[in-house]
Amino acid sequence: MKNEDIKKLIPQRDPILMVDKLLEADSSKSLTSLTVRADNYFIGEDGKLEESGLIEHIAQSASAFAGYMAVEKGATEPPVGYIGEIRKFCCYHRPRVGDELVTTIIIGAEVGGVTSINGESRVQGKLMAETQMKIYIRP
Amino acid sequence: MKLENNYYKLISMHHEGLSSRFHIALRKECDVYIGHFPGDPVSPGACNIQTIKECAEQLTGKELRISTIRQCRLTAVVTPVVCPELDVIINLQSLEQGYAVTARIIDAEKTYMEYKGEMTV
Repeated sequence: MKNEDIKKLIPQRDPILMVDKLLEADSSKSLTSLTVRADNYFIGEDGKLEESGLIEHIAQSASAFAGYMAVEKGATEPPVGYIGEIRKFCCYHRPRVGDELVTTIIIGAEVGGVTSINGESRVQGKLMAETQMKIYIRP
Repeated sequence: MKLENNYYKLISMHHEGLSSRFHIALRKECDVYIGHFPGDPVSPGACNIQTIKECAEQLTGKELRISTIRQCRLTAVVTPVVCPELDVIINLQSLEQGYAVTARIIDAEKTYMEYKGEMTV
């Protein structure tokens, strides 16, 4: 899986592709990564990622996890996912250019195509942001 | 990143009691739609959150950070075709460290986003 092309797992593309790799996944948890580059769409004027970029990265991480499970079940196209709700988002620090974000997604209940997730993003173990989300996967 | 004149254009802004209404046009030629999604332009929720932040910054005249989002509901899909013009309605309350921000993104037809959170200076 480490070499799985992220583009097989999520439909987003440059300039708004916000996950580099799916590092690990099992039935309830995944790890994804993103190295923040200077040309990232969400870079603020101070050279750090905007909070909205962290939100998009966490949402795409959840989408990559859903894509991985869909591909395991035989899907040929990555599913399109939308954010339905964000709750309890907290931003503690913002990553800088060159930082590698590693994000843990834990999947919760799925009701009618809407999946609840918990996400937290770290740089070298230091918590940058955490949130709960509901992600709607388009059938 | 600055979304004004890139992702959206501000058409007008006026105050209504305690709220402020920013009337914006989504720019369908924005680069973001090359990737979100190829051949299927959908406005990213994260860009709409960033738009709320930019409007709040314009109101306060200060650079703000999104410290928390208590709840943000994305109640309908936004695209520059379905809803080319939107109203961002913002209410700010001063806190010790910044502002409690309540916002809605709407047009005549629908509510697209309901947002509650805190931004710090």
